[in-house]
Amino acid sequence: MTTEKNSLTKILGRVGFYLIILAILVFTLFPFYWAINSSFKGEQELFQPASYLPQSFTTINYQSVLSNGNFMRALFNSAWVSGTTVLLSLVVGAFAAYALGRLQFRGRTAMMYVVLAMTMFPQISILSGLFTIITDVGLYGSPLSLILAYPIFTLPFTVWVLTSFFKGLPDEIEQAALVDGATSFQTFYLIMLPLTAPALVTTGLLAFISAWNEYLYALTFTLTTPASQTVPVAIAQFNGTVMRQEPIAEVMAAAMFVTLPLLVLVVVFQKRIVAGLTAGAVKG
Amino acid sequence: MIRTAARSNDIPASYGLGLTAIAILLLALALGTTAFYIQSIALIPEVQLGLNGEISLVLALLNNVGIILPVLVIGLSLFLIVTAIQMLRSNADAVRWASTIVFWITVGAIGLAIFAFFQQSAANDILGLPADYGRGLSAAIPPLLLAIPTAAASWWMSQNSGLINRNQTLTSRNTRMAWNLLIPTIAILIIVAARPLEKTFITSLTDKRFGSADPVSYVGLQNYTQLLSFRIDTVECRREDDGTCTLAADGSVRWELIARDLLQAGYRPFVNIPIGGDRSLALSGTDSEFLTGIGNTLYFTLFSVSLELVLGLFIAMVVNSNFKGRGLMRAVMLVPWAIPTVISARLWELMFRDNQSGIINKILLDLGAIPQSQSWLTNNSLQLNAIVMVDVWKTTPFMALLLLAGLQLIPADLYEAASVDGATRWRQFTTITLPLLRPVIGIALIFRTLDALRVFDVFNVLLGRQRLSMATYNYEVLIQEQRAGYASSVSVIIFILISVFTFLYIRSVRIEAQ
Repeated sequence: MTTEKNSLTKILGRVGFYLIILAILVFTLFPFYWAINSSFKGEQELFQPASYLPQSFTTINYQSVLSNGNFMRALFNSAWVSGTTVLLSLVVGAFAAYALGRLQFRGRTAMMYVVLAMTMFPQISILSGLFTIITDVGLYGSPLSLILAYPIFTLPFTVWVLTSFFKGLPDEIEQAALVDGATSFQTFYLIMLPLTAPALVTTGLLAFISAWNEYLYALTFTLTTPASQTVPVAIAQFNGTVMRQEPIAEVMAAAMFVTLPLLVLVVVFQKRIVAGLTAGAVKG
Repeated sequence: MIRTAARSNDIPASYGLGLTAIAILLLALALGTTAFYIQSIALIPEVQLGLNGEISLVLALLNNVGIILPVLVIGLSLFLIVTAIQMLRSNADAVRWASTIVFWITVGAIGLAIFAFFQQSAANDILGLPADYGRGLSAAIPPLLLAIPTAAASWWMSQNSGLINRNQTLTSRNTRMAWNLLIPTIAILIIVAARPLEKTFITSLTDKRFGSADPVSYVGLQNYTQLLSFRIDTVECRREDDGTCTLAADGSVRWELIARDLLQAGYRPFVNIPIGGDRSLALSGTDSEFLTGIGNTLYFTLFSVSLELVLGLFIAMVVNSNFKGRGLMRAVMLVPWAIPTVISARLWELMFRDNQSGIINKILLDLGAIPQSQSWLTNNSLQLNAIVMVDVWKTTPFMALLLLAGLQLIPADLYEAASVDGATRWRQFTTITLPLLRPVIGIALIFRTLDALRVFDVFNVLLGRQRLSMATYNYEVLIQEQRAGYASSVSVIIFILISVFTFLYIRSVRIEAQ
């Protein structure tokens, strides 16, 4: 009798557990499902009471996004702005991280604190100063202004995460290189840097996502020049074809183009991303 | 001429000669750069007005040059001079530092040349100049000329690196290597963070406006008093003829305004807190929009961060147990985090529509949770909660992943021992999980609070100017109203507020000083 009861509670507990999992999944994924759903709906259907499945299945939204020159240019802008920023941050950041993670010198701890404080830097607080400087040097309205501004958040983050990675490498490798007569710089780029390749990929990916998603600077510096806008600004300002009021279905289709590549990357690199994020946020 | 080492037969005579030449080059660079910099400052129109005594010279210098760059130029020049003198005295370490210096001056000069080329070549709308590569080229020539002797010196020193680096101690080698590697990062952080921050601080003391021809004047702390002045008064409710309080259409009490002289002094009430007896505390400020923005931001921060913590902890504990599909689950949890905030804001805008075409209304109506469709984004009492909801959706999984990393560090045998002792699940949670997770929770909380305090994207996309956070208010004042001085003081206030939390964060993340 009792064993039967126990197995019953066990089964109920198991069912309850999977119900909770299901609830979490619905909570996380439903809005994303809704974006997909809406992107396949006709414009009229979006103004009728919402239906859980699209009734007028159409790909017209995707076609009009593909033929929207502004949006395509924004994708291109985002790609090259984020790509350049990340490349720059990785090169410069790996240098600094090696110094902070592997070399003993006076001022090291102070530099570490500066870098850590910089990862928390409120971007809004230099908006007006940066705006003045960018206008002064004539970069206002150019994607170059974003490449100038983005290292403020990608660089300290890159340095911090890579430093914790460099610290974790065993000392023996370096000593062996030194004994073999390698110079400091050779030790760094021939031996230590290749070992950090996985960390470089993760950090680069995270920095890329944050640059790709950045909105404040992009909005401020490219508001009046649609040709230089990146994807977040283009999506926030999306106007579709003239006759319609608010082409939200097209926005959702555009969102799919922007989000799907990111999602593929995130799912593929899931483990590394979590490790990178926790190194950036939690571990010292 | 520099005396070389005792065993002079190993060392070619040209070595000492070369070092002397480089020392002289360094001296020339130090003096030349300083002279050139001072001259270029003196040519700034506003500084010339200051030199003629028409405006304050100190303020003109502050406004156009700042403090960081002059200090940097003077400091580097002094360093060059000291290094050169030490070289002439045959200090081997100074020679090594000189090789670092000439290398970075070369890199810096080439970088400057490239930058000047692109900046000057581009069409300039303000001055009405068309794109012209000739102009860019002529701007790039001076820094390139500077780079020629330093590049030559750098090349010569790398050819003689064996001689230069002989008898070098490991510490000195490491220190020089470290600063070599750090210089690019430091340079970038000065250009993109320190200098703009300084500019913001200085501008916050002025009444500067973009696109205005009026001269900029210093107003001291006036912007700050305008932003932050507030007062608390008690006011009574408005009365009907029979003496009862007047009610607004939505059933709330209507309050009297504050005293007329206060209104004339610029105070505007922005919130009433009832204290019973037909009276309320009226909070008023000279910039009620900013103070409301602070209030909105604090409300958003408090509710989003605490909801994210509770939900995140729950999800982390669920995912931490063993079940099939756990890896997939973790991947799925990153989905909301990876979607750009602007896109998720527009997505929720669609979901929050105020009639049945909005799925939130539809679901809640189908469940019978609300009697009729709600206007989530326009109704005053709902819009902040809607914003909190968007943020909770986006960030809870991230919070859960941070906490999960902490949970996995707790040894499983602690729980086994506790269950052997007959402790309930709840007791295990309060006596094992929470205390051991506390450091991680603390850091995650500060981390999220810092993020929430500077919230911009969701407020900007979903509410625009309807309801402001501190950051969107700053943006509106700067870009829409073009009031650079006033906006800068908003920035400074945000910066100070966030610095406090950054300080807490840094103290909780221990950096071991090996």
